[in-house]
Amino acid sequence: MVIPEKTIKYLVLENHEGEINLTLEIVNVTKSFPGFTLGPINLKLQDNMIMVLIGPTGSGKSTLLNLIVGLTKPDKGSIYINDVDITNMPIESRRIGYFFQNPSLFPHSNVYENIVFGIRKGDRDNRKLQIKRLVESFGLSHLLDRNILGLSGGEMQKVSLARMLVTKPKIMLMDEPLVHLDTKTRVQLRKDLRRILKEEGVLGIYVTHFEDDVYALADTVSVLEKGIIKKSDTLKTMLTFPNNQSVSTSSISEFFQKDYNYLEGCVTESINGITTFKVGEHKFEILGDYPINSTVGVLIKPEDIILAVDFVHTSARNIIKTKVAAIDDANIKTGILNIHLVINNVSLVSRITQESKEHLKIIKGAYVYAIFKATAPHIVREEKSK
Amino acid sequence: MSNTRLINFKLVICVLSGIALVYIIYPLFSIFIFVEPSNLLDSLIRPDVIDAFVLSIGTASISTLLIAIFGIPLAYCLSRYKFPGRSVAQVIIVIPLVLPPLASGALLLGVFNPQSFLDRLFPNIEFTQSIIGIIIAQTYVASPFMILASMAAFDSVDKSLENVARVLGKRHWEVFIKISIPLAKKGILVGIMMTWIRAIGELGATLMLAYNPHTISIQIYEDNAIGGLSQAIPGIILSILLSVVLIIVYSIIVKKSSGDTRKNNKIFSFGES
Repeated sequence: MVIPEKTIKYLVLENHEGEINLTLEIVNVTKSFPGFTLGPINLKLQDNMIMVLIGPTGSGKSTLLNLIVGLTKPDKGSIYINDVDITNMPIESRRIGYFFQNPSLFPHSNVYENIVFGIRKGDRDNRKLQIKRLVESFGLSHLLDRNILGLSGGEMQKVSLARMLVTKPKIMLMDEPLVHLDTKTRVQLRKDLRRILKEEGVLGIYVTHFEDDVYALADTVSVLEKGIIKKSDTLKTMLTFPNNQSVSTSSISEFFQKDYNYLEGCVTESINGITTFKVGEHKFEILGDYPINSTVGVLIKPEDIILAVDFVHTSARNIIKTKVAAIDDANIKTGILNIHLVINNVSLVSRITQESKEHLKIIKGAYVYAIFKATAPHIVREEKSK
Repeated sequence: MSNTRLINFKLVICVLSGIALVYIIYPLFSIFIFVEPSNLLDSLIRPDVIDAFVLSIGTASISTLLIAIFGIPLAYCLSRYKFPGRSVAQVIIVIPLVLPPLASGALLLGVFNPQSFLDRLFPNIEFTQSIIGIIIAQTYVASPFMILASMAAFDSVDKSLENVARVLGKRHWEVFIKISIPLAKKGILVGIMMTWIRAIGELGATLMLAYNPHTISIQIYEDNAIGGLSQAIPGIILSILLSVVLIIVYSIIVKKSSGDTRKNNKIFSFGES
């Protein structure tokens, strides 16, 4: 078989480990099914970014992944990896990892054989170390000889993920891989997933309908609705003033309906179970011990942020002077409204009653103190910094 | 009241089942009435019967191999690919199973008779009254067993596993050999077994196409026609012995296969754990 020149170009590029400038580009891709059309889709992803793709059921998320990996051929448009057109490249030559909803393990092989399935027999010895390292980082070492039938759901997903990563894909597509797992396993595996994807320098697209997945995994978020990408931006931008988004009536607001505050910063101090992290100039305190210089991301419910007109001495450890950027209309039924606050590069939303707002005479442009306890933030991301 | 009804119900079921079982097993024993114990061994090793027996086993094995080579790919094709006429093809493959074997034999005779186009094309090959004729008859009649069993086996293979293998960098051939075949193995084995059994037992089509050399079925048929049942005894006894072996092998395969299916279901229906 003659390998097309562009295939060689792609494969060679892939071998420059560590120094790869990876770009996945989807240009005007459309795919029609009876009663549904996906696209035209235009997306550009780079390097080891993780994009989380959200959208309602039937919005075409899985179809988009199938198009990228090659299980489905687009009607129109092209897909490029580093400017090489892979639209018509066979699946097995693309070297794109695909992590399915079901672990899809091979029932006639044991755990080890499943993991090394993608590596040629001759290469297995040379890559012993890499395999061992991956197996260990998933905590699968003691299961290698086991028949896959005895594994738990979480173990099966780990084997499946290890099997994919061992082939060293530079692009990894994940279709709700954690959906069938119980909450505890999901939280743990999600952490492992982001850590390992970053360690391996993998460009990832992660499809989900779990809000927590977005916070824990995303660098960027894209919203797919009725076959069209409605919105695509960094997680931070997506989370800032979610109610003012242009697609506020669609799934994005639905998805972030709890409109949590999201803060991400670098840990500067961790003493006696209290950790301080810095977002720009501002310091925040949370409960728990986290390594210094690591990055943490926390969610804070708007209800947990108290507003005060004057500085008050309280037991709350987080007090920050902010400016009122916007005030939403009050909910007719509940009389509750959102106050959007901003200071430097920090944005916060506080949810108070109409009565409180009037009592404190909060108006747009005024300065107020936002106050919350160290127990209020809920940690969703924790990463070692490079 | 209800208890009596239950007893009545069970009684009827048991009686009917008993009759069915006796009906199946009784002829196996009654045949020994015709055996004269003194010369049983002599009659068993009658050379012409042994030849016929060996010929049957040999031709059935070759036929099964041929059916496997062409039939398994056909089964894969019918299971995996969507093409116009696929449902028609799925019906066509059953024809040899539905046709009376004598009719199948007659059809084959139409194709392979000494005046036929094929016979003139290959003048050196004897298509009828030869081992080749026996194999032609057997392959035609027994092929549906292999194709149907393999098709069902391929249908039951989770296609996402094949997709995973491709994503992991395997070409179509490797996926077929490393995933599709091993996962469909048990079903294919059952198909091979059934095909072989059918080929061994073949009479009707062989009668039309290749009366000579005698297969074991034709030997029994002829012995009975010439010398009555007692003359046919050696062939019958050999056939019964072979069936016992086949039943044991077959039940082992089926047992293993059903065990595996249960395991497979468990894999794909795992829940929270």
